[in-house]
Amino acid sequence: MKALQNVSLWGLLVVIVAATAIPILLDAPAMREEYFSMLMVIVLASSINIIVGYTGYVSFGHIVFFGLGGYVAFWLMQTFAMHLAPAAVIGGLFTSLVAMLIGMPVLRLRGAYFALATIGINEAMRTFVTNFDPFGGSVGMFFNFSVYDAYGGAKAAGQLAYYAMIAVALAVVVTSFFIKKSKFGLGLMAIREDQDTAMVLGVNPSRAKVITYTVSAFFPALAGAIFFFKNGIIEPGAAFDLHRSIESLVMVMLGGYGTVAGPIVGAVLYDRLRTFLITSETFSSLHLFIAGALLLVIVLFVTAGIVGWLRNRFTLVRRYVE
Amino acid sequence: MFRLGRVKWLGVVATIVALALTACGGPAATSAPTTSPTKPPAVPTAAPVGAATTAPTTAPAATKKLVIGYTASQTGAQNVASAKQVEGLKLWAADVTKAGGIKTKDAIYMPELKSYDDESKTDRVQALYTKLISDDKVDLLISPYSSTLVKAAAVVSEQNGKLMITAGGADDLTMEAGFKNIYQVYTPASRYLTGVVDMLKKLDPSVKKVAIVNEKDSFSTTVAAALLPYAKAQGYDVVLNESYDSNSTDFVPFINKLTPLAPEAILGGGHFQDGTTFAKQMKERNVSAKYVALLVAPPEPTFIEIGDAAQGIIGPSQWEPLVKFSAESAKAAGLAWYGPSVQQFMDGYQAAYKSEPSYHSAGGYAAGMMLQKAIEDAGSADPEKMKAALDKVDMLSFYGRVKFSVDAKTHGKQEGHGMVYMQWQKDAAGKLMRQIVWPLEAKSADVQPRK
Repeated sequence: MKALQNVSLWGLLVVIVAATAIPILLDAPAMREEYFSMLMVIVLASSINIIVGYTGYVSFGHIVFFGLGGYVAFWLMQTFAMHLAPAAVIGGLFTSLVAMLIGMPVLRLRGAYFALATIGINEAMRTFVTNFDPFGGSVGMFFNFSVYDAYGGAKAAGQLAYYAMIAVALAVVVTSFFIKKSKFGLGLMAIREDQDTAMVLGVNPSRAKVITYTVSAFFPALAGAIFFFKNGIIEPGAAFDLHRSIESLVMVMLGGYGTVAGPIVGAVLYDRLRTFLITSETFSSLHLFIAGALLLVIVLFVTAGIVGWLRNRFTLVRRYVE
Repeated sequence: MFRLGRVKWLGVVATIVALALTACGGPAATSAPTTSPTKPPAVPTAAPVGAATTAPTTAPAATKKLVIGYTASQTGAQNVASAKQVEGLKLWAADVTKAGGIKTKDAIYMPELKSYDDESKTDRVQALYTKLISDDKVDLLISPYSSTLVKAAAVVSEQNGKLMITAGGADDLTMEAGFKNIYQVYTPASRYLTGVVDMLKKLDPSVKKVAIVNEKDSFSTTVAAALLPYAKAQGYDVVLNESYDSNSTDFVPFINKLTPLAPEAILGGGHFQDGTTFAKQMKERNVSAKYVALLVAPPEPTFIEIGDAAQGIIGPSQWEPLVKFSAESAKAAGLAWYGPSVQQFMDGYQAAYKSEPSYHSAGGYAAGMMLQKAIEDAGSADPEKMKAALDKVDMLSFYGRVKFSVDAKTHGKQEGHGMVYMQWQKDAAGKLMRQIVWPLEAKSADVQPRK
């Protein structure tokens, strides 16, 4: 059984590494950009799945961690000329700490109250940052282009950002997998099914939820740090864009919540569909309509998501795909 | 807590919310497909640009395709202004095509536009500009609309050594970020409202007290940050300097603060919706300030829909149809004249799109014209030669004067183009009309205090 678990994890990691190596081997910058976008949505969807899929707590404002991590890292890089790697890690750890502090009171809420509170947190953070002068207030912060010289030029910095996003994507998949397969993960899923029963069975829901929320905040923070480093500019509107949170949830639902592979499949499909429609001469003006209608159909009729449906239908898939 | 079934249901809710949010982003642009061959719009302008500005060649020149890439915000927050910018650019391409291309000694360049929808998002901008450069092999770039998107595109453009004209980005900071291949068409944001201070000082020295109330976004904050020290340096007493959140709809708290301070001039605003609402509420509350100047909203033709509340409101504009730049005025100023007349641009735009051009439309057209001028001056579409040509540009066109900074720290920043200030005034018949009130050499009417 243990071997089978590892097969599903290693399978995912090999697929991600092999796929992301293609634009490097082909030296195809446009493809690399597309893959960067895919990796980022994989990180966002997988991290939100850790809290939504495993505990059943629906976080509509998860993007707050993407923005906060991005801001802290950007500030460190701009103010202290810190390298991307330590800046991103510090940004991630700080964001996790904030998530823990927020999570302790907020995770006591249940159902729609929690979901609404997460939107409020995102908006509150956006307003705070908009008025916080060290972060540039409403103007935000920007790099002088010469910042990229320290990385061997802007092109090399772009490549570094790509490699960093691959690493974060792999890390979130591994974390997601081991949480799911651990005793801790079983406790989370017990909370998802019935918190009161879980408590009777010895699970400490408050502690488990706060730990999960803290862990799930770390990865979007890293993604934000890398994304805004590559962008060269950060401002509140782009950092705390609620739309991105909603899209991440849709990706999770599309692929299959509560599974490891589901958010990856959902993120890739959603991103590819959107990109295809946007860049298609025939469908460009209809891309929002088509994407929306398609998603609605899938979410209505394949309620467990694509991976969930496959797992329910095919034994072989159930054996090898988590 | 949600049970499994509820989580599934939430998927449906999330999708509906996502659809609603995307719908809020605005409709897809209706004007044209994403790839635009240079087939002219319905009716081209009266006098195509290239025809008047290029010398005939002595030998048959080879015709070359000139692919110009950009992203448009067909959806998202920037879709309205972006659509206008794109219309202007497409009109330029159609005019050039009708004129037989951009003619140089060795070749004739036929422009072909290639674009994608960036959804008003910086991550899409970077991915799509990379695609334009790497996959579509565009020769030159035009920026998206809005300062944030311009900056994101500029990073990619600079990485790849591509020449880009920033059609719709007024941000000063972008042009001070060390880019070497980017050229700005708009007057920088820091100069949007300083002209009003100059105007008041010259035309109504009785004004002593000024209030600044602006939207809390990147563009408006940059405007206000430059305005505050400038007004103080000119001897004005700034009695209030506050900002409001984007999407604000209630300005009564600010008006209540303003009333006892009795400023003679109120300067600021942000974008169309908030500016329009602010002007309406000032009228409803009988704010007595003699002068009110707001960003973005007043120059829009639809601002007139607020009726009497529009009367007396001043707006800074990148371009106004009433300002009649001409070959004669260029000669008087010692500058070279380039491109169509104001009337030709207006007629062509009206014929093609059945609507009035805004300054965003003029910016789009001017961006194309800049590329054309650079190719003609350089005699080639080689980016390095074009850059050298653009560095030397100092000309007058229907859009106004254009001259770029060649200083290493601000290379490409617009320093020739100035703002014009319009004011909504009532004519003898009581009809609201837009008039140019500053600078004096362009004025169509004297500035009038509000009543």
